[in-house]
Amino acid sequence: MNLTKYLAIHILREDLCYLAIVAKECSPLLVIEFLQRLHEVFGTYFGQSVTEASVRENFVIVYQLLDEMMDNGFPFTTEPNSLSEIIPPPNVFRAVVGGITGQSNMKADMNTGSMSMHPWRKAGVRHTTNEIYIDIIESIDSTVETNGMAAHTEVSGEVAVQCKLSGIPDLSLFFSNPHILDDVSFHPCVRYNRYEQSKVVSFIPPDGNFKLMNYRVKGQLQLPIYVKPQITFSTNGGRVNVMVGSKTTGGKVVEDIIITIPFPKFVTTATLSANYGTVQYDDITRIAKWTLSKIPKDKSPILEGNLSTTAAATMDSNPVVQAEFKIMQYASSGLKVDTLTLHNESYKPYKGVRFITKAGKLHFRS
Amino acid sequence: MSDAKYFGGGSKKGEISELQEELHHQREDKRKEAVKKVIAAMTVGKDVSMLFTDVLNCIQTNNLELKKLVYLYVINHAKLQPEKAILAVNTFQKDASDLNPLVRALAIRTMGCIRVDRVTEYLCEPLRNCLKDKDPYVRKTAALCVAKLYDLSAELVETQGFLELLIQLLSDSNPTVVANAVAALTEIEDISGRTILQLTASNLNKLLAALNECTEWGQVFILNSLSKFSTADSKDAESICERVAPRLNHANSAVVLAAVKVIMSYMDHIENPEAQKGLCKKMGPPLVTLLTTKEPEIQYVALRNINLIVQKKPSILAHEMRVFFIKYNDPIYVKMEKLEIMIMLAAERNIEQVLNEFKEAASEVDVEFVRKAVRAIGRCAIKIDKAADRCVAVLLELIQMKVSYVVQESIIVIKDIFRKYPNQYESIIATLCQNLDTLDEPEAKASMIWIVGEYAERIENADALLDSFLDNFHDESSQVQLQLVTAVVKLFLKRPKDTQDMVQKVLNMATQETDNPDLRDRGYIYWRLLSTDPEAAKNVVLGEKPLISESTIQIDEAMLSLLCREISSLASVYHKLPDTFVTKLKEVRKDKVKKDRETDGESLLPQEQQGGGQPNIFDLDSVGESLPQTSAPAARAPVNVMDELDFLSSPSTGVSQPVSKEIVLPAERGNGMQVAAGAARRGGQLHLDLTIQNQAGAPLGDFAIQFNKNPFGFAPTQLQVPPVNPMSTVETSLAISNHPNMFGPAQQAANIIQIALKNNSGVFYFQVTIPFHLIFSEAGEVSRDDYLSQWRSMPDEHVREVQVAGDSNSVQGKLRGANLFYVAKRTVAPQEFVYFSAKVGEALMMVEVSFGGGPSRINTKSRSAELIPAFEQALYTLLR
Repeated sequence: MNLTKYLAIHILREDLCYLAIVAKECSPLLVIEFLQRLHEVFGTYFGQSVTEASVRENFVIVYQLLDEMMDNGFPFTTEPNSLSEIIPPPNVFRAVVGGITGQSNMKADMNTGSMSMHPWRKAGVRHTTNEIYIDIIESIDSTVETNGMAAHTEVSGEVAVQCKLSGIPDLSLFFSNPHILDDVSFHPCVRYNRYEQSKVVSFIPPDGNFKLMNYRVKGQLQLPIYVKPQITFSTNGGRVNVMVGSKTTGGKVVEDIIITIPFPKFVTTATLSANYGTVQYDDITRIAKWTLSKIPKDKSPILEGNLSTTAAATMDSNPVVQAEFKIMQYASSGLKVDTLTLHNESYKPYKGVRFITKAGKLHFRS
Repeated sequence: MSDAKYFGGGSKKGEISELQEELHHQREDKRKEAVKKVIAAMTVGKDVSMLFTDVLNCIQTNNLELKKLVYLYVINHAKLQPEKAILAVNTFQKDASDLNPLVRALAIRTMGCIRVDRVTEYLCEPLRNCLKDKDPYVRKTAALCVAKLYDLSAELVETQGFLELLIQLLSDSNPTVVANAVAALTEIEDISGRTILQLTASNLNKLLAALNECTEWGQVFILNSLSKFSTADSKDAESICERVAPRLNHANSAVVLAAVKVIMSYMDHIENPEAQKGLCKKMGPPLVTLLTTKEPEIQYVALRNINLIVQKKPSILAHEMRVFFIKYNDPIYVKMEKLEIMIMLAAERNIEQVLNEFKEAASEVDVEFVRKAVRAIGRCAIKIDKAADRCVAVLLELIQMKVSYVVQESIIVIKDIFRKYPNQYESIIATLCQNLDTLDEPEAKASMIWIVGEYAERIENADALLDSFLDNFHDESSQVQLQLVTAVVKLFLKRPKDTQDMVQKVLNMATQETDNPDLRDRGYIYWRLLSTDPEAAKNVVLGEKPLISESTIQIDEAMLSLLCREISSLASVYHKLPDTFVTKLKEVRKDKVKKDRETDGESLLPQEQQGGGQPNIFDLDSVGESLPQTSAPAARAPVNVMDELDFLSSPSTGVSQPVSKEIVLPAERGNGMQVAAGAARRGGQLHLDLTIQNQAGAPLGDFAIQFNKNPFGFAPTQLQVPPVNPMSTVETSLAISNHPNMFGPAQQAANIIQIALKNNSGVFYFQVTIPFHLIFSEAGEVSRDDYLSQWRSMPDEHVREVQVAGDSNSVQGKLRGANLFYVAKRTVAPQEFVYFSAKVGEALMMVEVSFGGGPSRINTKSRSAELIPAFEQALYTLLR
């Protein structure tokens, strides 16, 4: 058997490959999570997309971040809040000032945050307006059979928080119906024992944007839309007929619908038209994209058309039609927020909660 | 302000001297710019080592960013220029007592990264201070630094008492400091191969307390450390699991899986079935979450682990089949793993759904994946009797699709289905035959030919079908040729009248016109069989074949248990034990053996072989010379020689005899160290009790032990021997486990272990005989049903004649004393068959002993086939 001296673990994100070399037995998930974190931290430092150019552009910060985030193979400081205290992110303002006065990017004083009992939060946070926004984003993964029945449906939710609260706020988020949650995973700031006992999400938040929790919902759920694709091939070409409509959405509008049909390789051309929305067909990738801003009340949208095929066509090819959509102010799981309370600080913050339901991996078999 | 400009410098001639000038600029910001340029040059691979002194010059600054950049440069170049690195030591030492804790931490951290021996000497004092620093940031940095130092100089860490300081940090008030101390101790344990962190009640409490509060990475370290401990106490195990369970809901997948590992390893010790059930219930949803909400890389690692978990505890995910349904845009590596797990979870109640998914999968584009999906349908048919009809129907549907590779793969699996359910599905043969001429893959062809041969009497044109292959006989692959020969012979035996010519032709081709020895051999065997005794040929060729069975359990139990202890690690992804894919860092490492260090041989033992799993400590070829025979006991030693055979002949032998030791290494050969050894079983485990006597002038210490590979796979656990002063004696007991990686062929008798014992004066070799009655575990009893199902699943491959003293009753008593347990008895007059079970480590050994009606026989079976020869040897001795 071969004994290797080194093993490589990598992840690919936005065309960048993050590679870790390990020389002995370790936890691969720790490595993958760390690389993922590295990518996210780079993202917060260099703007949303991390590219070869942005890494080059900021190599000194990259060095500093790597140095701070890892020590001799051990993850060190990885919380964005703590990192930004030690290594402030670049911005135009600082660049200008720094250029004139020669001031350092580096904070010279010790960050108290990284070693406090809640390492994810900076110390001495001050905001002129105290506000906290909670976005509950649910995505539906489902695979629907040709007969319209779902082979499986899963709803997973993410609670994203934008927190601008001064001091050390202690928050509690109450759901009206927490029993519908099948599994939850929390940001380190959440007191799990409290949740276990009384299903209250209680936490001292990091400052800024963070993901408070993820959850999964049990039970079968109705999909908010239906897609009925009929794609048939015969010896001299093929026919396409796709219908879209909305189902139960509690009166909310389904928006930004995109239906994607990847045709098999033997399709040469496609002539497609729809009675609503716009259709685009890419000859090279053989992918049709049907975009609908919403589903009209007066008619049911239909995409129709003909396909021409090469001789190599097989009759039994079934493209899988993918759908995307978004519904604002709607939680497909039925999850409801009761209240969000603040302790430990005397100010009255502005609080906002909104729900979004969107399609995750939503596939319709034809 | 973009840093990219630093890269654009080009390599003009005066660049270096220009940089040099800038590095000495009056203004700090200019110097900083210059260091950035130097680092940019370093990044793109330019040689900037000549600037070492100039860059070092910039270290005297209060600007932390500049300081960090200089440190970065120094770390990169110190190894190349150790002489110059010494120049930085002063600054390091000064910075290590700076007022700013960030600077103190930075200095200690950097010093630990400079792998230059002479710098290391100066590290001790600052490190000691930093380990006791008032700021936790400094302490957590210093804790990791101890591990770095240990890697450079283990001796320094031990003599300077850093290990003790590290252990003290376990009681630190800051949880992250505790976690880093655990991480450092674990690393040191890995390097040294010894146990430092003991699971005492107080340590356990410290770890569990820190677990709730420390960073996510710290939680992983602590959980990994917890999983290494074990406790036999049900209450302890339960409370550890309970306190670890909340980690299952962490957002970090590494924490989740590490928690699963801890719970899996302690769960077996929990006696309360309700508590066990509760834990299983808690582990299910988080595992599902890893699959539904995470990145594909994480999903993959999770799936590989779930594969093990499902084999070990199927109930955890038995009702989560839907999660493993394949999604259209899953990466292929995820799809493949999901398929595998779906087969494992397939059962009668969910087979409809599963088959539907397999069918969908079989219409995807990736050929490899489609084949696996088709194969999955076949495996389900074989696994679940009641689903076979449905599976065959689906396979037929797939064949109708006429996609070549789907058809071929379907035929391959249908052949297996025929072997499991003979004479049930002949009706589909016609459909299969229609596809005969489209087959171009050897395995599919061979399968189809097998089917035609097997059912030749029901296929009207079987002769024509087979004949069509004969024209191109020589162009076929050997797999197809072999199958053709067999099929034609079968056909001939079933329909001799009209196929005489054909069989003649094919045997001619197989024997005369080929140079493939396998084919020729098979041809000749058939030929002779047919020409000497056609009836016998019929019995042989058309005889009833054993049914095949699908074992979804792919990993044997002993291996599975070992792998389950490795959950969340790389081993769990490879499904191999760590030793088989990574070189264990410095197995038994000793600083004194510096010579070996430069090369790969970090072990103190000679000629470590890279090939095997566990390092093979001896050069096997020269074993005869290098291992002197056990010498006779010296007269003055306080030991008795045990007469093994006498001992065995009394059937009432218990296992709690006082241990008698024998001198295995006389002082003359041991450079003054005399070793006496004796084996005993205690607390369900085999122990080797050692008496080490120091007859030399100087104290003996640094003991370490290794075994050569041996037929029972004996492996030593940690040897703990304090230093032995001159003219004094130390007694110690070494627990011996059985480890699959230690299996090796017998050098002499199966129960002799060759041992290397090292101390500070050298390495010494001797051997120890473990009496056969001590080898088997007290836990060797298995239920009758388990025994029978396993027994039946294995062929009778190891049948031997033996000499047996006594009748079946007295043998039962005798074997019981050696932990071979009676399972059942079967009488087929005049013979009597008695079944026994035994365990070597985790491996189950089964034996049937026959009495009466001629000489006694033993028939041995085990999934750990490598143990059988040694087991048989044990039986010869024990039965006599």
